[in-house]
Amino acid sequence: MFRYLLKRMLTSLLTLAIILTVVFILVRQMPIEGYFDNFDKLDDAVIQASLNRMGLRDPILVQLKDFFVRLFHGDLGTSARYSVGVPITSIIARKAPLSLQMGLISMAVSLILGLPLGAAMARSRSGFWDKFGTAFIVFVTAVPAAVYYIYIQSFGSSILGVSMLFSQNDWRTWILPILSMAMGNTAYYAMWLRRYMVDEMSKDYVRLATAKGVKSQEITMRHVFRNSFVPMIQYIPTSLLYTVSGSIYIESLYSIPGMGGLLVDVITRQDNPMVQALVMIYSCIGIVGMILGDLLMVVMDPRISLSRKESGR
Amino acid sequence: MMKLRHSLKDSMAAPLEKAVEQLSREDFVEEAYSQEAAESIGFSSYSYWRSTFQCFRRNRLAMVLLMILFLLILFTLIQPFLPGQFPAGKIINHPVTQKQMSNIPPGFSNIQTRVEEGIKLHITTSWKDEQWAAVSNILSSLKAREDFTVIAYGDEWCQVEYKGQSGYVRNDFTTKLKLPEDPTQVPYPCRSNFSLKLFSSPQDLTRNGDELFVLLSALDISEDGQTATVRKGGADLRIYPDNRPFLFGTNNVGQDLWAQVWSGTRTSLLIGIVVAVLQSLLGILIGILWGYVRALDRLLTEVYNVIDNIPTTIVLILVSYILRPGISTLILAMVITGWVGMARFVRNQIVIIRDRDYNLASRCLGTSVWRIMFRNLLPYLVSVIMLRLALAVPGAIGNEVFITYIGLGLPVSIPSLGNLINEGRRLLSTSQSYQLVFPTVVLSLITISFYIIGNAFADAAEPKNHR
Repeated sequence: MFRYLLKRMLTSLLTLAIILTVVFILVRQMPIEGYFDNFDKLDDAVIQASLNRMGLRDPILVQLKDFFVRLFHGDLGTSARYSVGVPITSIIARKAPLSLQMGLISMAVSLILGLPLGAAMARSRSGFWDKFGTAFIVFVTAVPAAVYYIYIQSFGSSILGVSMLFSQNDWRTWILPILSMAMGNTAYYAMWLRRYMVDEMSKDYVRLATAKGVKSQEITMRHVFRNSFVPMIQYIPTSLLYTVSGSIYIESLYSIPGMGGLLVDVITRQDNPMVQALVMIYSCIGIVGMILGDLLMVVMDPRISLSRKESGR
Repeated sequence: MMKLRHSLKDSMAAPLEKAVEQLSREDFVEEAYSQEAAESIGFSSYSYWRSTFQCFRRNRLAMVLLMILFLLILFTLIQPFLPGQFPAGKIINHPVTQKQMSNIPPGFSNIQTRVEEGIKLHITTSWKDEQWAAVSNILSSLKAREDFTVIAYGDEWCQVEYKGQSGYVRNDFTTKLKLPEDPTQVPYPCRSNFSLKLFSSPQDLTRNGDELFVLLSALDISEDGQTATVRKGGADLRIYPDNRPFLFGTNNVGQDLWAQVWSGTRTSLLIGIVVAVLQSLLGILIGILWGYVRALDRLLTEVYNVIDNIPTTIVLILVSYILRPGISTLILAMVITGWVGMARFVRNQIVIIRDRDYNLASRCLGTSVWRIMFRNLLPYLVSVIMLRLALAVPGAIGNEVFITYIGLGLPVSIPSLGNLINEGRRLLSTSQSYQLVFPTVVLSLITISFYIIGNAFADAAEPKNHR
């Protein structure tokens, strides 16, 4: 177990290094306007001088080395346009807690709504809940999120009688963004839980339990649900990741001062160092999410062991 | 030679032995011996594709949606060639005022009002062609604090005389006329604190003062060419000198939303279909190589790990950020992120079926690798491929909306559903919400249809579901 983790960490670090290199090289292809706050007013000599000072004229490998050295010292560089000269780490430290908070709450909401929906769908096959849930899932997966987010924002705020924009101190303005964020994952959890539960229900142990006279409700709750939940555990950290990417949308829609809105902001302002830093952070979340997902599976299901090699095909 | 007269199925229902006991000589017919019939080899009339389509046809919802989608795509293709269409992207100006005809609500006719026969209309001499005339029933405009004489009072309109012209002025909170309590006190010299308009009849046919247009054939024009009377049967006053309606209204720069929506649907469908096809082709090719050629497995798995670990939205954003915005950039960005999922799916399937006996036999008989890949393995994957192909289209359309929202999408000059939704988004809470509703309805129809059809086809393509 421990050795597996160590090995897994090392490969992840390697993957991360490759991703960072690729992103770094890609970002270097971006127009140089992105490094200056007032590009149009500067004359050529000044531009060249500051490019030199920032080390952008060095060979790409030297730049890469400098970048990694600085990264090891916890230095992501400074913002070029968004708020000039402020270290990126401090900007992120200010913004990240809110995003994380919303992401966690919305995930809790989607689990609370999605799991019972999925279980109800599996229990009432081709009954009301199954039809309702299928319609919901088709709607959420087929209609682009952009569209129904806009409608939720507009109609929701007029129904609740709250402002369309987010304000941290008014709890009522939290409802709509969290609900919108939870929509996609609710459908996702419901869909997969239904599928796994339907698969589980046809297994022998369920028939045995029925033969023994266990109540059907108890079978679903105690046996089927638990077994079907295990493969879903793996998705949960990855879903966290998806809430981050989903919140790119929602945060700028409700002007929530979080990380997702930040990415859109710095892209529209062409702030290259910030784009680079944020892309890196998102990739890190992805990799960590994968590892955590595998770990959670092992914790939940004693039958799964990561250190043993999978049987070869 | 004997043949069973009854079909076997009938007797299968009862236990077999009983059925055999009940057989008698009359159940059989005698037939002459023929060498050919005895040696003919029977074969199953099962055809994969026919069974697939039969199975698909049983799903009624999917069939209906398939029809709708087919008609919709056909319509978007022929729409520009239909008569009476405004070209997409054309800004429509009002012929008289030359202002953009912005935010006109949707309607089948765009007739502003209908006037009864006998109504006198004032012809605006600034605009006229062989068919149409610009008209209003405004006789003249009064500045604030000009004197006029009231002839008769009314709740909303007063009949007045002004510089020898007899006409009507509005009497409500917008004009705030100061009138005496006693209604019999006429004629009454009056003056308003606001500017007024003198109408030839007690109604404002022009609504907010813009000129309207009427067919010349419905009018009797006076000799001086200034006024006209509506002929028998009345006349329509149109907001635009044309029989073409703005079916979906116009947007805030005065473009016909109907033309914009269909042009946008064309763009979005083009992007969606091209992306789906390209990423499927790339995904299938790489997936088959990945699954079948063992030497490539390690390398491709590592590449997959790297790409899969970066969230797709980030790659989308990054590629569209670096490159110039345009259709090809969007397609490139989506193909780069999209092929990975397809490739992994195909690879997993291939790994499962590549060592089955029939493939082993094929290999032993010396079939080439390419032939095995495309003849033995690929047909197995049809259902999966069709499903992913169908889902890739709405996915690509959704991504286009997302990228446009972030501000990295197509320029506004190329209408796409993403662009239209992004523009309509700001107007949702106002009376112009139709500018969001129409594009979103078309978009949702397309994406939901593709989703349901794709799932239905994947079910139908699964041989287990064939009867």
